[in-house]
Amino acid sequence: MRIDELRLMAFGPFTDLSLDLSGGRQGFHLIYGANEAGKSSALRAIRDLLYGVPERSTDNFIHPYSKMRLGAAIRSSKGQVFEFVRRKGRVNTLRTADDNSLLEETDLQQYLSGVNADLFVTMFGIGLEDLVQGGQDIIRGGGEVGRLVFSAGSGIVNLREIQNDIQEKADQLFRPSGQKQKINTTLGMLKNHRKELREAQLPGQEWVKHDEALRAALTRKKIVETELILQQKKMSRLQRIREALPLIAKRRELTEELKNFASAVLLPQDFPEKRRELLTALGIAEKGKTQALNTIESTEHVISELDIIPGLLDNAELIEELHRELGIQRKASKDRIKLETLRSSLQGEAKEILRNLRDDLTLEEAEKLRIKKPETIRIQELSAKYERLITRIEDTREKLPDLIQEIDHVDRILSALEQPKPLDNLPIALKEALEYGPLENQNTSDLYDIQSFIKTFKIEIAKLGFADHSIEELERLPAPSMETIQLFENRFDSVDRQTNDIKTEIKKARIALSEVERQIEAHRLEQEVPTETDLQIARDIRNHGWQLISRKLKDEPTTEKELQDYLKTTPGSTNIAETFETNLQQTDAIADRLRREADRVAAKARLLVDQTGGREQLQQLENDLEATEKERHIVTHEWSKEWQSTGIMPRTPREMERWIQDFHSLIQKAKDVDVRRTKAEDLKQDIEAHRTKMIRCINVFGRAEDIEKSSLINLIKHAQTIIEDETKLLQKHEQLKRDKALKEKELAAAQSRLKTYEQELKQWQTWWEHAVAPIGLEAKALPGQATAVMEELKSLFDKLKDAKILQKRIDGIDRDTEDFRRKVNGLVEVVAIDLTTRPADEAALELQHRLKRSRDSLSKQETLNKQLEKEQERIKQATEDILQIDAKLKSMCKEAFCESIGQLSEAEKRSDTRRRIEADLKTADQSLLQLSAGATVDEFVKEAAAIDPDSITGEIERLDGEIQNLNREKSELDQTIGSEQTELSKMDGSARAADLAEEIQILVGGLGNDVENYARLKIATKVLSLAIERYREKSEGPILKNASALFKQITGGSFEGIRAEYDDKGQPVIVGVRQKDKEIVSVGGMSDGTTDQLYLALRLAGLEMYLETNEPIPFIVDDILIKFDNDRAIATLNALADISLKTQVIFFTHHRHLVALADKHINSSTLFHHALKNSN
Amino acid sequence: MLTFLHAADIHLDSPLHNLDLYEGAPVEEFRQATRRAFENLIHLAISEKVAFVLIAGDLYDGDWKDYNTGLYLVSQLTKLRNAGIPVFIVAGNHDAASRITKTLRLPDNVTLFPSDRPYTFRIEKLNIAVHGQSFPNPSVKKDLSNSYPEALKNAFNIGLLHTCATGREGHESYAPCSLDGLRSKGYDYWALGHVHQHEVISKDPFVLFSGNTQGRHIRETGPKGCVLVSVDHDDHPEIEFKPIDVVRWEIIKVDAHGLESGYDIVDSFSHKLEQLLDENQGMPTAVRIIIEGETPAHDDMLSDVERWTNEFRAATLEIGSGKVWVEKTKFNLTDPASDIFPERASGAISELLNLFDELSNDADARRMLASELAEIEKKLPMELKSGSNDMQFDDMDWIGDLLKQAKPMLIKRLLKKGIS
Repeated sequence: MRIDELRLMAFGPFTDLSLDLSGGRQGFHLIYGANEAGKSSALRAIRDLLYGVPERSTDNFIHPYSKMRLGAAIRSSKGQVFEFVRRKGRVNTLRTADDNSLLEETDLQQYLSGVNADLFVTMFGIGLEDLVQGGQDIIRGGGEVGRLVFSAGSGIVNLREIQNDIQEKADQLFRPSGQKQKINTTLGMLKNHRKELREAQLPGQEWVKHDEALRAALTRKKIVETELILQQKKMSRLQRIREALPLIAKRRELTEELKNFASAVLLPQDFPEKRRELLTALGIAEKGKTQALNTIESTEHVISELDIIPGLLDNAELIEELHRELGIQRKASKDRIKLETLRSSLQGEAKEILRNLRDDLTLEEAEKLRIKKPETIRIQELSAKYERLITRIEDTREKLPDLIQEIDHVDRILSALEQPKPLDNLPIALKEALEYGPLENQNTSDLYDIQSFIKTFKIEIAKLGFADHSIEELERLPAPSMETIQLFENRFDSVDRQTNDIKTEIKKARIALSEVERQIEAHRLEQEVPTETDLQIARDIRNHGWQLISRKLKDEPTTEKELQDYLKTTPGSTNIAETFETNLQQTDAIADRLRREADRVAAKARLLVDQTGGREQLQQLENDLEATEKERHIVTHEWSKEWQSTGIMPRTPREMERWIQDFHSLIQKAKDVDVRRTKAEDLKQDIEAHRTKMIRCINVFGRAEDIEKSSLINLIKHAQTIIEDETKLLQKHEQLKRDKALKEKELAAAQSRLKTYEQELKQWQTWWEHAVAPIGLEAKALPGQATAVMEELKSLFDKLKDAKILQKRIDGIDRDTEDFRRKVNGLVEVVAIDLTTRPADEAALELQHRLKRSRDSLSKQETLNKQLEKEQERIKQATEDILQIDAKLKSMCKEAFCESIGQLSEAEKRSDTRRRIEADLKTADQSLLQLSAGATVDEFVKEAAAIDPDSITGEIERLDGEIQNLNREKSELDQTIGSEQTELSKMDGSARAADLAEEIQILVGGLGNDVENYARLKIATKVLSLAIERYREKSEGPILKNASALFKQITGGSFEGIRAEYDDKGQPVIVGVRQKDKEIVSVGGMSDGTTDQLYLALRLAGLEMYLETNEPIPFIVDDILIKFDNDRAIATLNALADISLKTQVIFFTHHRHLVALADKHINSSTLFHHALKNSN
Repeated sequence: MLTFLHAADIHLDSPLHNLDLYEGAPVEEFRQATRRAFENLIHLAISEKVAFVLIAGDLYDGDWKDYNTGLYLVSQLTKLRNAGIPVFIVAGNHDAASRITKTLRLPDNVTLFPSDRPYTFRIEKLNIAVHGQSFPNPSVKKDLSNSYPEALKNAFNIGLLHTCATGREGHESYAPCSLDGLRSKGYDYWALGHVHQHEVISKDPFVLFSGNTQGRHIRETGPKGCVLVSVDHDDHPEIEFKPIDVVRWEIIKVDAHGLESGYDIVDSFSHKLEQLLDENQGMPTAVRIIIEGETPAHDDMLSDVERWTNEFRAATLEIGSGKVWVEKTKFNLTDPASDIFPERASGAISELLNLFDELSNDADARRMLASELAEIEKKLPMELKSGSNDMQFDDMDWIGDLLKQAKPMLIKRLLKKGIS
């Protein structure tokens, strides 16, 4: 395949750029583009063209995805050309060259001969980077032959790296002796888990073992517990008895002792106490009696010394009253001084006021000036009235000019205002017109529609050929009825069907005939089969010859002409004998053939018959056809005649059927429209009438120009405005007139009020003169003056009144003082004559003192008398007590069988001793009862007596040891039970082992996936190395041979070539061979540039190898010569030119000097160059 | 009216198989599944107030040695004793192999049928007769039902039997029997165990497998549980299957035909998973994803199986709200390109492709490849190489599958991704 033309229609920076790549055998196309010219876009374009634009292409910066287009014409090596366009998309992206319809992807794939996108890019594209990477891979791989050959044959630049990478991935998963790899780790974990699982699993026997141990321990524990109870019982009995032995001994002793005190009287327990109390009470009573006698004696002495004055006590109330008055007296004399000062100051102030009013009058005469209350009120009223009157008069006066001015103002406005006009007929006309206004627009548009319909209708009708016909005429048009048309339709159909049938028959007959003729021709070609006629003709000639010969033999005359004629029947023969012989043979031959080929003859005869028959049948059919055609002609003619009167040339009945329907519906529509038109025009006239009327009415007001042309609706609006305006004007006039009348009325009222007020003022003046005369004012005095005088007078009289009140209080005080003095003197003369010389207040005070002393003495005397009475009583009580106590003591002696009180104490002691012994005995018995475990004391004592006291201790010790042993065993059993129960409770059906088993399964599951991954990688590695080896075996020879030559060419002869050698490890590797001295250079010893060139040589050799057996695919080269010196660049260009004889080479570069080099050194019949220009 | 439960194949503490742990896998939801399913059985018996419970064999895995499992069984059966519910058990092949069975003391409400001959136990007040015989050894080849007694008159007769019936795929053929043979006994109900798939063999009389109570691997898909049997006054039983499993196993097949990219396939899978979760009402589920059919995404998916496996897992995490575990993702895809390009140019890459094809078709060559894996095979545990896992190094189809997957991976890796 090669690309004849590459169309960069809309891709990357390109718009409608076309590259003609059709030159040359395959062609070496050097495409130059400056750095920004889109060289890499063009490279991508080739890939995308052939294999589709990638989903996220970046070549959409000018043309959006939907507009992206690439196109090409490609040619296979067999010369087939395929033109197509590629658009961007997911499906259906391959399109025909005109971009109008779809192409199948397989159509294109036939040209690509199994090379897919990845392979295309890898194997048929090479760039500078590939070269460098390829070169480095050669060095790193040490020139290993297998890989290099495989790389060369596939275009893979980093095969070694890929192999290592896959191997590394596999190694990360697993290594046979590794520890840290994923699979190895998992295997380790698995091992641990299994171990754990084994440990976690609880064997059944163990549970049984623990269960049995527990049961045994429980049984034994029960036995031990029973034994323990028995021993403890024995032990406790002995312990009891041992404990009781001392008690029993003591009990015996007490019983003996009690015998001595059996005669002692048992006295009540409180007996000694009682006795002591009685003796103490006796002592106290006697002592109290003595004390009381002493007290009486001393009290009586004190009473005799008390001092009491009887007169004073009798007058006690009077003395106390005087003492109280004494305080009041003292306070009154102080007040009197203050009152006197106040009174004289008030009098001074009054004098001052009076002098200001009337200096001719003294204070005593001031009374003359006092005015009565009604007079004061009269003056106040008049003052107020004066204020009111003055205010009203002033207000009214101020108002008058305003009113006059307002009236003036209204007058002016009125005179300036326009006079309203009468509306006359306008409102009625408007009301009528309003009905038609809204119809006006509809009417206009209706009329317009109707007009346009009529126009269309006329055109339609003209189209039908009835330009000048009215609707009525058209309606009357004598077109054939629908039934007639259908009749014709059937007739036409029938004729046409017949015709078609006949034509089909004819076609069949012709085919049959030509088949017959073909067979006849075949017979002919096979060798004409002789006919009976042929035989007859030959026989005739033979017979004729025989007659000639016979005549000659019979010597009958023959003419030369006859002979000559006969001879002519057999060209080439010279004599009659020869001719006859030939004739004879021919006749025989024909007869023989006739006989031999009788079948063929018969077949041919049959064919000839068929041919004749066929021809006749054909003729008959053609006649029939002619008849039907005639028939059709007649029908057509009749059909036209049907339409003649309408002047229409009819088309087929089916079409005319449609035509008639359209025609009728058109007419119907036209009639409907006509009705509408009449209605609309009537309405228009009505509207016009109203319009005229409105114009007339409006013109009266003469306010608008051009209303003649206005629409009715506008006129209505206009009239409405006029009516509104005029109504408003009228209303305004009336309002103003009303305002004026109102103001005038107001003015008249104000003037009359003013007059009234002025009269009232005059009246007031008279009243005022009378009112102010009493306070000494003239008639002219203003109300303010009168008020001031009245206030002064009031103040004067108030002060005089206050001074008088004060004087009265001073007089009262003086009177009280005199009264007091008299009372004191009277009393002193009676009760304390020694005080007569002393002032009244002092005497009163002394009296009070003396009274107090007498009272104190009296009270003391009373207290002492009460005390005396109490002491007498105490003596009497004490005597009674002494008698009672004595009696009680005597009764106690009797109880204790004693002679005297002194013996009582001994009796008490004996009673106590007896009681103690009895109590001790009881205690001992009780203690024994506690130890007896239910037996009576006597029984228990007897039981104890039966046991040898010396053996008890030994027996107890023995029992104690036994009990201790039993307890120890029980505690051990408890421990066993506890631990067994713990063990068993640990075996609680836990799922630990089950969980571990599950975890193991999870690990196994994960392991499965990892192992699969590992296996895939491992297999991939293996298959790849197998493929490398296999390809090497097949291709090592030719590729190395070619590569060697190319290497020599590209290095400009610096190297002789390359060849395979074994390295130190016995691996076959590629080495270079120097030209001069055949020195061998390992790849490690080559320069970077040289390894690049070695890689290129290998790639080109691989490509050549491919091209030997495969359909060519263009080789795309991207600027690989940048690092080459000129000589090597030229050599490489030449190598590429050589390859371009086998496949198309498309070389992109942005180095102009390479173009120049190529121009200079490459055969111009091979090299074609192109320039890339993007749409910018 | 009388109800009882029929269960079998409990396989307590039998682990779930082949679940690969990955980030976000719902480990907790899947723990102790067989125990929780068994607890569901106990709970169901108590809440339905059934008259008794039948267990037709295989309480635990035969090779399972942890006595705790037995103790757990006892603790659960004790709950039934406290609720006054008797339990009838025949030992199955696994129980006969188990060491636990030999030492375990069962509570007194449990009747374990002896194994020397068939026995009949009666519940007089309900007029029930249960006939059964335990497996005496793990491998019983004869028809045990043959010697079961005739039906008792005037009683509801139940046959309890661990059997492969007439043989079922994937199950050892132990104690085989025939439907006619069972019918001839005149019983009203045959409670069978051993076959893990629930199956009603006959409705008159009822002969049925309850199936196992909890699926444990991908070959035990769908709901698992027990059968609730109600017997009316005319001794006519009605059955109802009660799912009691706590984890479900499902296979989701995605037909990749007509899907352009791997993401389309993941979407299609997500859609199916959503449907499945709706049907299972959000139950914890282990799914195996099988992608099959012809798709342009073939190369992309097979060249990075690991990545796409993770894509499916991520989609599952998103949709399954932490309850779905992807058991395995299988890529059974075919490459549409291989049909379009029947011809193949010669050259190094073609050599490689041809080699792949050749190896796929050559058993000897595949064996040679298998030997490459000998080292790892030696190290792997037995269970990965046999039984439920399909990693069988001597299975040449497995190697063939690996080859199919390795091819696109290698080609993608070798050829350039394209011009940028």
